[in-house]
Amino acid sequence: MTDALLLGRRALREGLRTPDAMLPTLFIPLFFLVVNVGQAAKIFPGKTTDFLHGQGYGAFQLPSSLLLAASFGTAALFLVEEIEGGYFDKLRATPIPRSAIVLGRLVAEAAKGVLIATALVVVGLIFGISIASGVLGFVLLIALTASWAVVFAGFMQLIALKTRSAAATNSGSLIFFPLLFLTPNFVPRHLLTRPMEVAASFNPVTYVMEGMRSLILQDLVWSAILKGFAVVAVAGALMLFLNVRMINRYD
Amino acid sequence: MNEITTNGRRSATPAVRAEALVKHYTSRGETVEAVRGVDLRVEAGEVFGFLGPNGAGKSTTVRMLTTLLSITSGTAIVAGADVATEADEVRRRIGVALQEAGLDPRQTGRELLHLQARLFGLSAHDAAERTEALLALVELEDAADRSIKGYSGGMKRRLDLATALVHAPEVLFLDEPTTGLDPASRLTIWDEVRRINERGTTVFLTTQYLEEADQLCDRLAIIDDGRIVREGTPAGLKAELRERLGLASDPTLDDVFLDATGRTRDRVAGDVQEVSA
Repeated sequence: MTDALLLGRRALREGLRTPDAMLPTLFIPLFFLVVNVGQAAKIFPGKTTDFLHGQGYGAFQLPSSLLLAASFGTAALFLVEEIEGGYFDKLRATPIPRSAIVLGRLVAEAAKGVLIATALVVVGLIFGISIASGVLGFVLLIALTASWAVVFAGFMQLIALKTRSAAATNSGSLIFFPLLFLTPNFVPRHLLTRPMEVAASFNPVTYVMEGMRSLILQDLVWSAILKGFAVVAVAGALMLFLNVRMINRYD
Repeated sequence: MNEITTNGRRSATPAVRAEALVKHYTSRGETVEAVRGVDLRVEAGEVFGFLGPNGAGKSTTVRMLTTLLSITSGTAIVAGADVATEADEVRRRIGVALQEAGLDPRQTGRELLHLQARLFGLSAHDAAERTEALLALVELEDAADRSIKGYSGGMKRRLDLATALVHAPEVLFLDEPTTGLDPASRLTIWDEVRRINERGTTVFLTTQYLEEADQLCDRLAIIDDGRIVREGTPAGLKAELRERLGLASDPTLDDVFLDATGRTRDRVAGDVQEVSA
């Protein structure tokens, strides 16, 4: 684990030294938050819309922005750059477990996820959104977002390791858009059309989003929160297994 | 059978021993035979040159010997450990500087060396001391806290060399360490390779520069089309060619290379055409 932490610290330095790669992960989700609220806030006024639990529409939209922020996968692009530049081989030629190379990047992704999620939620708080589940809910919200960021980055790493191509990895990250939009993104699941509701029910991202939303709009609703964390745990376990297998077989 | 014999330096445990080393891989549905049964023996303490034209199998062989590529068949023992079954042990005992100077451009030279030392198990304190010693060895103290992105090609090569030395390896693999460098930087790298070797490290060097091999190597092998086609000391190989062809004067290592790989000066000139304005 020490090796993964050492490499995680390096990847974090790398992230902090490339603000041009970090800043879009903050500003694009904020942009979507502003645009989506601007488009739909009048349709769903806070005082008369039950599913908003007394908050504005921005509170309902915040989880979409958090998920978007956690789904950029820039770490995988840094990995491709490293493969192309030869540093990846330099690391593979050290006696550390090869899994530490991918785990190191995921450690950094977790730290970056906490940082970005906190920044987004703080911006939301400034503009009147409140976290109805209190301090514990705030911590859980940040943890859920950061965990999802790790899972998504891990799947992007798989594409990077398999294709060794920046273009293919970049294209791979686009998979998130159907996953994000096949969710109760604008209204709760029960208000979706039947086909959309079925699709959203099969989409694991739905449960992460609903877990986040419950933390923002309601007190601690453990059934929703645990489903969100369960999805992250299962996807995370699969992602870790595949990453370790992929790097151990990397030739 | 391409067993390379030693030149009076044979020891009980060679630094590198490969037998019938083969690498096949599949590319677009076709099987490519990159290395077709290479036998090598490199004695501890020597500088061994591994030459060959582009695509001959040099880098593939080095990547197998350094655990970076799986072996299709055959065996390889490096620094006393089996590459296939004791890969971690091999990695602890070797240093690797590959064709591309494998560096993280967003770190400083000092950070990169310190991290590399930690990954080889040194404590933070020992890693810091080792980093300073290596920065001095490759004369990069003044640039140590600058981002690697701003280093010149020669500086990057020297830093790459330093990262391969953090754990004082028994065997150092250098894959075309001077490709793309200006003559002054090339001479600096040669000096450093000599210095490293004088301290007892075995050097396994691949290069396309025959003058480099002539200057640095105690012995060398030429690989072509995945097979070893010549082996011996530079002087011995030249003498053999002179005798075989009945030449009036000593041939150069270029002549040996061309003879071994079946190429001619005309064909090589035709392969690489200089473009001028």
